[in-house]
Amino acid sequence: MTPTPAPSARTWRFLPAASTYIALSIAAFVSLFPFVWMLISATNTSIDIIKGKTSFGDAFSTNVTNFFTLVDVPLVFWNSAKVAILTTLLTIAVSSLAGYGFEMFRSKMRDHIYSLVLLTLMVPFAALMIPLFMMMGRAGLINTHVAILLPTIASAFIIFYFRQSTKAFPTELRDAAKVDGLKEWQIFLYIYVPVMRSTFAAAFVIVFMTSWNNYLWPLIVLQSNETKTITLVVSSLASAYYPDFGVVMIGTILATLPTLLVFFIMQRQFVAGMLGSVK
Amino acid sequence: MADVRLTEIRKSFGALDIIKGVDLSIETGEFVVFVGPSGCGKSTLLRMIAGLEDITSGELTIGGSVMNDVDPSKRGIAMVFQSYALYPHMTVRENMGFALRFAGMAKEEIERRVTDAANILELGPLMDRKPKALSGGQRQRVAIGRAIVRNPDVFLFDEPLSNLDAELRVHMRVEIAKLHKTLKSTIIYVTHDQVEAMTLADKIVVLRAGVVEQVGAPLDLYDDPNNTFVAGFIGSPRMNFLKAQVASIAPGFVTVSLANQPDVQLRLPAAAPSVKVGDEVSIGVRPEHFRAAGQGDADLVVAVDVAEHLGNTSYVYAHVSAGERIIIERAESRSAINREKLTVGLSAASSFLFDSAGTRVR
Ligand SMILES: Nc1ncnc2c1ncn2[C@@H]1O[C@H](COP(=O)(O)OP(=O)(O)O)[C@@H](O)[C@H]1O
Ligand SMILES: [Mg+2]
Repeated sequence: MTPTPAPSARTWRFLPAASTYIALSIAAFVSLFPFVWMLISATNTSIDIIKGKTSFGDAFSTNVTNFFTLVDVPLVFWNSAKVAILTTLLTIAVSSLAGYGFEMFRSKMRDHIYSLVLLTLMVPFAALMIPLFMMMGRAGLINTHVAILLPTIASAFIIFYFRQSTKAFPTELRDAAKVDGLKEWQIFLYIYVPVMRSTFAAAFVIVFMTSWNNYLWPLIVLQSNETKTITLVVSSLASAYYPDFGVVMIGTILATLPTLLVFFIMQRQFVAGMLGSVK
Repeated sequence: MADVRLTEIRKSFGALDIIKGVDLSIETGEFVVFVGPSGCGKSTLLRMIAGLEDITSGELTIGGSVMNDVDPSKRGIAMVFQSYALYPHMTVRENMGFALRFAGMAKEEIERRVTDAANILELGPLMDRKPKALSGGQRQRVAIGRAIVRNPDVFLFDEPLSNLDAELRVHMRVEIAKLHKTLKSTIIYVTHDQVEAMTLADKIVVLRAGVVEQVGAPLDLYDDPNNTFVAGFIGSPRMNFLKAQVASIAPGFVTVSLANQPDVQLRLPAAAPSVKVGDEVSIGVRPEHFRAAGQGDADLVVAVDVAEHLGNTSYVYAHVSAGERIIIERAESRSAINREKLTVGLSAASSFLFDSAGTRVR
């Protein structure tokens, strides 16, 4: 046996770090490339994009002008914002209460009901689409934003997330609040919400993004141009007979901005929330 | 008036009986300590008094009024929790004033009370910090302050010192004793630490498995325990129990001989003995009650395992020929211990006789 030479030992020591960086670089490339490509394409004509041009062009202002003439931008953004914000607020209100309730209140039925809630996660949305559509039709809600809101508000996943996070909420805080004279809803509002604020922030980011990017269900229930959201409009531009990809890219950029904004504003809270609220 | 009375109090969680009929009277201004091993139901009993657990059956009165179904905030109690339970998003000042603000008290009055409590507990410089920026001892003081400002009839403490290190625990123990002297309020204090119980209590309630084993002043429990459980629980190091057999009974006395050593006999006072000749019994001797050889009523030879010298006193860990391990405290001698056999004197006056079920024979 020859002793291992020193340089080789050092190489071995750096290998884990090196492979981490390589893996991270690949991940960064994969997630950043579409963004960069989107930005580049927004400055090129449709023909150039199809040809696969990868450098910045000079068609940006034309694309913007075309987009704004094709699309009623304020209306579409208003629709999207209205739906996303209402969905987010209502989902968080319902799911945080449900998560709090499931964790705080003991009852024989608790875990059975909870299992049922989780079970709904296993039903694919495709299987629910037609029954939901028929329900909305009977209720006369087709082509309204309420039809998008209703099925998403009680989100099993967000309920699950809140219940899991609530496990870290000290029950003695609730007891202390009771001794201090708070009713259950006051404990929720004045103690639970502020203590769990990073959980709420993370839930806000998740639900807002999901809702803003939601495509399939709005596509089915929103039929008139007056009610359509940005995702629908962009996709309809892309599926036109002669799609102008430069214009599509402008739409994509505009559609991405709000989610980016929300994420950057709430980034710190989001990460804290994913790691657990209570320190 | 802030007397607390429990009558036939019971608590079940589903089919599980946790508190099995507790009767207790706590007088105004009394410092009562619930003590017992972990899981015996101390916290549950305290939480029932606080109104944080429903009372399954029985009656609870505070200051003469039935409180079974009264809201915790209207029972005239304040509670200090083991984990302190300070609201993490509020400063010390806000934490202390929260209940008062919530009850709609005038700002100046809140400010006055919070300042008073802060002075008593020396919290002045910490008032604008959040709990996260406080040490364990400081959090504990804030938790006590939060209780004080409410000016309750009854203070409830649930193992308030168990998260502190040993030194701080002793310090806070003294602080709490001082506080009781200052405020003169009724205090119910839960602990599993018999030293805390002995040092703080006017009255100790010893609990085991949801049943009150004995109630009494600390020294009464020490001097006159009702059974082996109380005898073993109160006093540190714990009482030694030696197996023995009743050899003869005379009016006012029971003579027992030690298991395996029939020649070691003790004549113990017992006015109305509930045992008969031949019964298995046990003799309880506290470590500090062994005498020097020849100084007691009988001599006992033990085999020494180890000795610990603490300076002011020494503990000898030994076993008797029947096999029971015992601890002997020898305040006077340091050298006598470095040998294999040790002869100690047993004194009838400071030994306790228990029957085979563990009940005291008096
Ligand atoms: N909410 C509950 N549901 C079921 N069992 C409980 C509940 N709370 C306490 N217990 C049980 O009651 C017993 C006494 O608990 P506790 O009063 O906390 O004991 P201690 O404070 O003396 O350590 C324990 O065995 C515990 O498991
Ligand atoms: Mg406890």
